[in-house]
Amino acid sequence: MDPAVPLPGTQDLLFDGARRLRRCETALCEVFEKAGYAEVIPPVIESADVFGTEAFRALDRSGRLLALRSDFTAQVARIAATRLSGVSPLRLYYRGSVVRRDRESVLERLQAGCELVGEPGADADAEVLALAAASLQALGLKQARISLGSTGYFEALARAAAVSERLARALHDAVDRKDLPTLRSLCEREVPPGQARDALLMLAQPPRPRAQAAELLARAESLAPGEEARAALRRLAEVLSRTRVAELEVDLGEVRGLGYYTGLVFNLYAPGAPRPVGGGGRYDTLLGRFGDPRPAVGFSLDLDALVPLAC
Amino acid sequence: MLTIALPKGRLQTPALERFVAAGVVPDEEPGASRKLIIPAGRDARYVILKDQDVPLYVERGAADLGVCGLDQVLESNADLMVPIDFGFGKCRLCLAAPRESSVTAELGRSLRVASKYPRLTAQWFARRGVPVDLITLSGSVELAAVSGLTDAIVDLVESGRTLAENGLAVVGEILEVSARLVVNRAAYRLKVEELLPLLEKLG
Repeated sequence: MDPAVPLPGTQDLLFDGARRLRRCETALCEVFEKAGYAEVIPPVIESADVFGTEAFRALDRSGRLLALRSDFTAQVARIAATRLSGVSPLRLYYRGSVVRRDRESVLERLQAGCELVGEPGADADAEVLALAAASLQALGLKQARISLGSTGYFEALARAAAVSERLARALHDAVDRKDLPTLRSLCEREVPPGQARDALLMLAQPPRPRAQAAELLARAESLAPGEEARAALRRLAEVLSRTRVAELEVDLGEVRGLGYYTGLVFNLYAPGAPRPVGGGGRYDTLLGRFGDPRPAVGFSLDLDALVPLAC
Repeated sequence: MLTIALPKGRLQTPALERFVAAGVVPDEEPGASRKLIIPAGRDARYVILKDQDVPLYVERGAADLGVCGLDQVLESNADLMVPIDFGFGKCRLCLAAPRESSVTAELGRSLRVASKYPRLTAQWFARRGVPVDLITLSGSVELAAVSGLTDAIVDLVESGRTLAENGLAVVGEILEVSARLVVNRAAYRLKVEELLPLLEKLG
């Protein structure tokens, strides 16, 4: 390792790069503050239990496992569940960098994001979606897309089809990659015929613009195998009806998100970026890990991807 | 504007045939010149690449979509959409060893294996709990096993003739391979209006 060069996956930001980042952060903070969100600044290192295995970990002198921050949402959930326990609703935002272990070494990413704690309803989902859309607008991004799905729907289907954990993972991966050939062969070989199977096969369909979403959701509901799946679809329809965000499209195969998402999930795309520039979702069980089970929903933005696109 | 990554080599002709049938006709025959970028009307262009580079170009967004074998998709570990199996370019990724050797399907001991597919090979052995000393080569992989550099090889097998002519036999099958359509994750959302009609015609 050459000490004269930052690690691959990290960088020095100088002059114009630093100025642009701060300008974007300021624009975003203004949007967040105006929407009633307050900033929290969690520590950059804490107990490894807070984060997943993607965190960069080390032992301290007494043998406790610590980790660099790999996820703001888990930290905000910890704060909300402990120091702010019982205060609902909470509107919190953050900015800073996360560090994750990567294929080769480590990866540092600059983020900003919002969490709305203590509100279980579709209104809260719609509020967070609208705030994510407003954030992209504040950065001057045009023609962005927000792809809306539901991990809750996928999980309801997997449960209705009574698939094993291994098969559920394989199905999830095929759906996430729109890999219809693999999805079809997995379903034909390993999922018993029935409504759950038909509904699973529908998940590899392409996304629908907002105007056609109602039709898609209605067709999915006619196939939905049980109350849990139908409820997840109705929730999506309800969220759609409560937001005027034009960039929305519905994709029942949009299942990618953090491991703890429980319902609504969305990813943000912007022209010029080959990967999502942000994403979010509902996580109704994460606060419970810290002793204060409360529903929550939020999103984060990838500033490394967004700052070069912002004007 | 859609940028389509077209692989050089044996997949190129059948891949191009499918795209031409879907209405994306290149302005000139790839291979007629040394051009690396070939326009196809006003709304598309082809970029000509080695098939193992296709996943990376598409993942990073330098191309919106492309064609390559499932072996390259999985070996690259690229984060891609893979909506269509074209069905051509069929072959198998296999573990092969000299016919007289003691390497069998029930692998018990540590093996030395040569391959152009270090990731897929390591994964396959790891699932079986067999430690493997992996040697990554860039060509003539059969020679490794024949010359005694390694106990076995992992490579694509189409007819099996190359193996047979070199005294090798298939010991295990790792992956069934065929040509896949790969699509960039963001392009799949942002260019959905252009992509969907094309996907329907290709599928």
